[in-house]
Amino acid sequence: MTLLQGTVGKTYQVKEIRLEEAVARRLQMLGLLSGTSIEVLNKKRSGGVIFKVRGIRYAIGKHIAQGILLGGGEA
Amino acid sequence: MSGEIHVAFIGNPNCGKTTLFNAYTGAKLKVANWPGVTVEKKEGAFRYHNQQFRLVDLPGIYSLTSYTMEEKLSRQYILEDEVDVILDVIDASCLERNLYLALQLIELGKPVVLALNMMDIVRQRGMEIDTHRLPEMLGVPAIPVSARKKTGLDVLMHTVAHHADGHGDIPLEHHHGDKQTAHKHNHHKEYVVVYSDEIEDKIDILQERLLEKWPDMVNPRWHAIKLLEQDEEVMKNHPIETADVIQRSYETDIINQKYDFIEEVVEECLFHKDAKSEKTDRIDKILTHPVAGLPVFLAIMALVFFFTFTIGDFIKGGFEMALEWFSGAVAGLLASIHVNPGLQSLILDGVIAGVGGILTFLPNIFILFLALALLEDSGYMSRVAYVMDGIMGKLGLSGRAFIPMLLGFGCTVPAIMASRALEDPKDRLKTILITPFMSCSARLPIYVLFSSMFFGKHAMIAAYSMYVIGLGVAILSALVMRLFDHRRAEHTLLIELPEFKRPSAYTIFIYVWEKIKDYLSKAGTTIFIASIIVWALLNFGPGGMVEMGDQRSFGAMIGQVLTPILRPAGLGYWQVVVSLIAGIAAKEVVVSSMGILYGINNINSPKGMEAMVAALGAAGFTGLNAYAMMVFCLLYIPCAATIGAIRKETNSWKWTAFSILFQLGVAYVMAVLVYQIGSAILLWR
Repeated sequence: MTLLQGTVGKTYQVKEIRLEEAVARRLQMLGLLSGTSIEVLNKKRSGGVIFKVRGIRYAIGKHIAQGILLGGGEA
Repeated sequence: MSGEIHVAFIGNPNCGKTTLFNAYTGAKLKVANWPGVTVEKKEGAFRYHNQQFRLVDLPGIYSLTSYTMEEKLSRQYILEDEVDVILDVIDASCLERNLYLALQLIELGKPVVLALNMMDIVRQRGMEIDTHRLPEMLGVPAIPVSARKKTGLDVLMHTVAHHADGHGDIPLEHHHGDKQTAHKHNHHKEYVVVYSDEIEDKIDILQERLLEKWPDMVNPRWHAIKLLEQDEEVMKNHPIETADVIQRSYETDIINQKYDFIEEVVEECLFHKDAKSEKTDRIDKILTHPVAGLPVFLAIMALVFFFTFTIGDFIKGGFEMALEWFSGAVAGLLASIHVNPGLQSLILDGVIAGVGGILTFLPNIFILFLALALLEDSGYMSRVAYVMDGIMGKLGLSGRAFIPMLLGFGCTVPAIMASRALEDPKDRLKTILITPFMSCSARLPIYVLFSSMFFGKHAMIAAYSMYVIGLGVAILSALVMRLFDHRRAEHTLLIELPEFKRPSAYTIFIYVWEKIKDYLSKAGTTIFIASIIVWALLNFGPGGMVEMGDQRSFGAMIGQVLTPILRPAGLGYWQVVVSLIAGIAAKEVVVSSMGILYGINNINSPKGMEAMVAALGAAGFTGLNAYAMMVFCLLYIPCAATIGAIRKETNSWKWTAFSILFQLGVAYVMAVLVYQIGSAILLWR
């Protein structure tokens, strides 16, 4: 599943990032690496997602949310 | 150490770096742009125990790669310039992510001091940081401070001074659990981050080759690591044979291993890290609510403008009375000492009418910038990007593009600069083209003047409507531009949402003061000079000095040439044309020029307005003309500085010229539409 399909309030593990090189690198530098815990805080119908990684909140648009693959189920 | 110590402030965005910087330098700082780019460069001085410090505030960045201009700039500055100490400001409540940049800085090999900022928030949230173990693991001092409460500041500078000459490095002490290696690379006593054996082997080879070619290279290890990451800049500036060593980019591995180490540090130094930040969660429930978020944002903006107009106008009354008194006093003084009438006219009709009229708007502008500063410092601004992302997506833009547009209500120039936060060059260009339609504070004097002259008790609605029209035109333009942009619409919004915090009065004060200072210095320079030029154009003609308002002046001649073109827009008056041209220097000049043109030296007072309405009315200039004028002023070139900013940000004369023509075209078409449709309706009624 992708981050876009995540449920608000649940914590997942990042499995893979499938995005353009530059965006993927930026996410990695912010600490989104495979195995990192990620909590979904908020979702909008338009596809925007707010999540928390390593104690910090980020807002992303649909495109990026679709490119973050989650695995490991609920942690 | 003698001489001054050069300290570079660096840190993640939202880490409180600027607040800390301000705490040392106060408002006495020099703000300039970095050469060639429009990123602000802040410099200040500080003295402590007879030691002079030179402080430079670098832009907020997440890492030291060369992906963005800010990152490149900070990196170059630290590498090349004579920086004695790197002061890395760390938001201790987000230790994990902030340590990533810290590790990169330490890897550079220059003296680094960590400022553990926001320690008050760490405590408040129930977290604890082992400030003894942290320096042991990182090999550099880490000083707890709170920029907001101004605690720990002296200790921090003291450490910086001691650390500047390279002494004071703290011996590294790692445990690394079972990760301890028997490999020859037992660098754990030398380097903070030791990579996997595979990578360390490659670093060894590259380091050797780098030193062969550049024997006096200070930090070959850092360069070697950057080569492994296939960093463009380093590969360009230090090309060596790497084909046999580097088969791919090792960037992901290096990032991963840095974070592995960070997790180790956090494990040992940070306690109760899972403490919830309930306050932010609670506020976010409302502000970023999927449905309520947008109405809440609109209500906040309505409130901002309400305060700007009502309270601002209330205070403005006092300023006007002061100006009237001042103008009268100067007139009396000049007459009593028998000053030459020409000079009297220059001072009263030129300078006081021009500059004075602008100064009375200070309260409105003060309140507007205060509100913007509050929105920014509290952490709400980045939420707006999320709230607006859906709508902006329909316009083919990322939600982040809304931040420059929102800042455009304050001043177009920094707003255009803020567009650089958008990664996609096309998004950036679109944002730059539509941001000038957001009505900036310099246009406010025009609305206030014309709407209170012509629309009586509906004045406020008339002025409000300008903001709506501006926003509407911006949206429409974005939609039209989208037609020419054939890419698949991609939402690339990625923005950090900082914890909500009570805005710091001091930071707000500095922010607002900087803007007010800008406004005042503009009144003292651009508007002052423009006022004198306008006065001169109106008082001199081919036949020498003429009476103010005379048709034979240079100004009238220029105005008359363009009058026929602007007639369909209801602006076919040479005086109006002259003030519109003068308004390209700065928008406030439209008001000051009108004052000069009609010889009214206190244009905002009831008496001044009455005189102006009478003069304009006699020429057939009615409320409809006034509204068309407001629309034209809303949409045409905001000011010369905006043109400069667009040129710098687009780095293209072609796009700069396009944006000028685009704004003039849109302004003309809209003003004509307003005037023609308005006339038709009035006729029909």
